Amino acid sequence: MGLRTHIKAPALAAALLAVVLALPCSALAMTTDKATAKPNEDGGSGVIGGMDTRLTWEGTVEEGESVDSVTLTIADDASFDGSTTRITVLEGLTRVNIEGEAAADGNSITVSFADPIPAGSLLRLEVTNMRFPSEGGDYSVEGSYVDGGQTKELAASPSISIIANTPLQSVVNWLDEQPWVAAWNSNQFLGMFFKPQLLVTSFSSLFPGWVLCLGIVIACYPFAIVLGLVFSLLKISKHRLCRAVAVVYINVLRGTPLFLQIYIMFFGLPMVGINIDNNLLGIIVMAVNSSAYLAEIFRAGIQSIPRGQYEAASSLGMSYVQTMFSVILPQTVRRVIPTVTSDFITAFKDTSLLSSVGVMELMMFSKNLTTVSGNITPYVAAGIFYLIVTLPLIKVVGVVEERIAASESGLSRKPRKRDQKKGVPSVQ
Amino acid sequence: MSNMSRRNFILTLGASASAALLAGCNTSKNSSTSSDTVSTDVVDPGGYTLVEDGKLTVAAELGFAPFEYMDETTGEPVGFDVDLIKAVAEKLGLEASYLPNQKFDTLVPLVKQGGKCDVAIAGITITDERREEVDFSDPYLDSNQAIVVKKDSGETEESLNAAGKKVACQSGTTGDEWITENLADAERVPLDDVTAALTGVSTGLYDAMVIDLPVASWMLTKSFSDLEVAKEIPTGEQYGIAVSKENVGLAVAISSALQSMETDGTMKKIKTEWFGSEI
Repeated sequence: MGLRTHIKAPALAAALLAVVLALPCSALAMTTDKATAKPNEDGGSGVIGGMDTRLTWEGTVEEGESVDSVTLTIADDASFDGSTTRITVLEGLTRVNIEGEAAADGNSITVSFADPIPAGSLLRLEVTNMRFPSEGGDYSVEGSYVDGGQTKELAASPSISIIANTPLQSVVNWLDEQPWVAAWNSNQFLGMFFKPQLLVTSFSSLFPGWVLCLGIVIACYPFAIVLGLVFSLLKISKHRLCRAVAVVYINVLRGTPLFLQIYIMFFGLPMVGINIDNNLLGIIVMAVNSSAYLAEIFRAGIQSIPRGQYEAASSLGMSYVQTMFSVILPQTVRRVIPTVTSDFITAFKDTSLLSSVGVMELMMFSKNLTTVSGNITPYVAAGIFYLIVTLPLIKVVGVVEERIAASESGLSRKPRKRDQKKGVPSVQ
Repeated sequence: MSNMSRRNFILTLGASASAALLAGCNTSKNSSTSSDTVSTDVVDPGGYTLVEDGKLTVAAELGFAPFEYMDETTGEPVGFDVDLIKAVAEKLGLEASYLPNQKFDTLVPLVKQGGKCDVAIAGITITDERREEVDFSDPYLDSNQAIVVKKDSGETEESLNAAGKKVACQSGTTGDEWITENLADAERVPLDDVTAALTGVSTGLYDAMVIDLPVASWMLTKSFSDLEVAKEIPTGEQYGIAVSKENVGLAVAISSALQSMETDGTMKKIKTEWFGSEI
């Protein structure tokens, strides 16, 4: 390594010298401030070659120059054909209205101005619907400009990374070409709510949001159950103070919207100097909110156990705590399972409210995608993601309820109509 | 400027639509050609249609002071854009009527889809992407963007372009796009509400916000004294009034109203009232 550095050093010095020598020449030239491209990856942040995007190029006209036209060139098979160009000329923050004409020619575009652009102004060219080379790579925008009849070279811009087509994007492009997709999308309703291309991209780009939603609700639920149990026991406690605490906690949380609680926690806590990670705070808010509902569910469950059970337990010499934990609560668990599952479903859906405070969950991703695409399909995709979790759970609730109903009425299975019919004549 | 009565309009529309259906060429509702036929058949050139007769129905996001915001006492929309559109409506012999508050990123789709509002005015920058969806009046104001950070945070454009930095914006705005292109490494947090975003910057939830410079200046003087503009981004973007592409006559009428407001001094008066000077 050391040896190689030594050998390289003179070459480096020579290169530096060349740069230093070159600098005085470029001081009297229009500078290229920046060149950026608008991400065109559906639901992503990459710039894909071979697809329409928007190039923004900025340069400053140096002292002693006035620019009549600018030509921008991108290597290889980049294309400006079919693009539109927006010209912005600024002196400081003040806009100067200068009209111009853009002429595209394959991988270069020449913008000629009606009035020359004066020295010191910032020139911005926004070229919409141009394409970068489809194979991807790092491309910088080069070109030339005309200053009073004299054509000069433009400094190359910092390079823009272009990615080649992703597999996902190829699927989308394939869909774009299918006649049945075009026919489907030409129906305004189908095209707006079930656009196949967007369904594909939505499923892939909404996935992390869905995982976060599930993560938040699964992480929060154990805490919600423990908290809920504590407050349900407090609410049926003999001490008035305990009951008061539980009643206030449960009623305030059940009586205010979750949305409000989220706002108070997310904007309030940082104001008093408590900074918690957004996702963690989301888990806390969801846990606290669910605990109030669970407390009520547990209380109702506990109180539904007949008084006789307490009397029987105390006749066996059990203490209150023993009675609770070995007689009452085990029976309660079975009874509350359907209601708790319903509450879990509600909590899972309610994570969507966290999108309003910037937690990157399912709704946030779909909202971003809808904003970018101007289409409702990402919301439909989000709906499907929610249903993947909630439909099986709803089924579970139904099955469990049926079983409980059967066991409580002393039957091993749900009585069928035929059985009942059989029974009726025998009574007569 | 006289419009057909609504019933007349609907009748003619129905007649021409059914005629088109009979001809068997109107299979898709959203193709621009079919709408062109309807507008040329029904509306005389230079005329326009309105959602509600005698009223210019306006959609806006009402949290964008000083352009449009709710007056604290009356709850009515006030601001530069509000005065402007009221003056435009007056020129057209109409009364401006605001819809309830909309989200900014739904304004352009709302105008495009039609039926709910005639125009949207909410500091909407004219961009070529938006022009593919809707028409715009002539620009009525020039604007720029700004990066707003907490005072003494020392954040710059360069320091913000790093992983782990959170930069808030209003969803669907040009500031939103500016972040994706210029602060590609930072995490972009699009929100519905400017106040929520600025509160987030103030409490440290986000490291910065990118927003239109006039709004930043206003909000920082009025309510967020602990924030500062880290960088004024010269974008020179221009605000326009969005009108449906199927209502070209209205865009033309609004542009000429703006022109006559420019000459008769109304524009200057409104600008002076809201910005202290003509900007």
